[in-house]
Amino acid sequence: MKRLAHELSLEGQPGAFAGSLMNSSADLVARASSGDQEAFRLIFERYSRPVISFVYDLVGERELAEELTQETFVRAFRSLGALRQETKLSTWLFGIARNVARESLRARARDSRHVDLDDKSVLDLSDQGPVPVSQLLSKELNELIQRSLALLDDDKRLVFTLRVFQQCSYEEIADITGFSIPKLKTDLHRARSEMRRRIGPYVRL
Amino acid sequence: MKCDDCLNLLAEYIDGEVVEHEAAQVSAHLITCANCANEFEALTAEQEIYARYDRELNISPSMWNAIAVRTAAEQPPSQKSSLRASLAGLFAIPRIGFAFSGAIAIVIIAVVVGVMYLKTQPQPPRQESFVRNGEPIVPPGGGTKEVTPPAPSSSPVKVIESRTRTPKHTDRGTKTDDPGVLFADIAYSDLAERDTAEHIQQAENLLRSIRSLQASDDDSEIDVSYEKAMSQRLLNENVVLRRDAEIAGKFPTKELLKDLEPFLIDIANLPDKTTPDKLRVIRDRAQKTEIVAALVSY
Repeated sequence: MKRLAHELSLEGQPGAFAGSLMNSSADLVARASSGDQEAFRLIFERYSRPVISFVYDLVGERELAEELTQETFVRAFRSLGALRQETKLSTWLFGIARNVARESLRARARDSRHVDLDDKSVLDLSDQGPVPVSQLLSKELNELIQRSLALLDDDKRLVFTLRVFQQCSYEEIADITGFSIPKLKTDLHRARSEMRRRIGPYVRL
Repeated sequence: MKCDDCLNLLAEYIDGEVVEHEAAQVSAHLITCANCANEFEALTAEQEIYARYDRELNISPSMWNAIAVRTAAEQPPSQKSSLRASLAGLFAIPRIGFAFSGAIAIVIIAVVVGVMYLKTQPQPPRQESFVRNGEPIVPPGGGTKEVTPPAPSSSPVKVIESRTRTPKHTDRGTKTDDPGVLFADIAYSDLAERDTAEHIQQAENLLRSIRSLQASDDDSEIDVSYEKAMSQRLLNENVVLRRDAEIAGKFPTKELLKDLEPFLIDIANLPDKTTPDKLRVIRDRAQKTEIVAALVSY
């Protein structure tokens, strides 16, 4: 059963490549640490999609997310030797990505990300009240979620993204962010409420 | 449990993060309280909305190339030469060309063997796939004019059948014996149907695993951490697939997924090491509701 679960979940991360199944994360890390570029390429293939999605949710810009994902993997390569055996690779990569994104955001004026975003009117989707999600175009839904996400403060957006989109456990979120469990629970609860408040006028739940 | 307590725990309950006795209390409360059950539905509906979020991001090959260049520059001197060689090999055309030509050769061999196999097959067995008890197979809605036994020299329907059949179907003997197998196969070409079938297969494996888990003599607790993790993943999938089935009007599928969901929630909320009694409760309920049989017959 354990083997089956491992095969099915691939450490629970979306975007994994089927061709990478034969290499466990521990094997790949060991090989990459000894200079095996192919092993590191497989790590990139396996985790690049969740990492870029995570970074994109934090910074909200496509080109910047690509650039920061690159930086994340370069830093990961440099620090492979410091990766402790008991640490889950995805958790470790998300931790690096979070630091990279945070540094980038600090370097920018916060207002530049939230230009034209109005809490009262996130999107001009509908004047007819909430509609079933199936009636919303995927582009509209994507924009609605992205803009609502951008209105969360940094901590709330961070825990919300890790839990809801990356399916991390509370313990993993605590490892990645350094937050205490009570703090992340509070942030997550508030983030969910805010997201519901912003999405609710457009989508019938 | 009071409603306020239940509502406070509901999100954590869906996340599979509440402790065992609280999960049991929430489960029990949801059965009896319509308001909290509605809130539970709203939260799962939100999950379904977020699951549809598509950032439309692409991982371009240039991203890896840039990383490879930057990391290659940081290799220790002793490894630089071998790294250069491996990088050159990685991006060299001949390597891709070799793999590509190998794949083409395999495809050609497979086609030739397939054609030879079809040609060497005796004719009477081929007719058996169209005629059962002396009658041609017809689609469920009738229409004998559309499906008639073809001439022995050409069998287009059989070719379609062999192309569209998936390994999953061959495992399920009951379905291959069904006269409507051709039409079921066509339905399975739909991506959502296939996702649902795979999901149900995995859920079935999970419940079978829970059923077969036993504590060793010297250890009263059972490690279910893998089952728990799998259940959390399946739970997220289940919410999306159930909504999709509802939207598509596939109500039997929706009902089946709806029946499955409480089991996934219960397993997702087990502690990593649980007692045989807790597992027995889930097993007994699974047996009572015959959920595994329902999944098998999907």
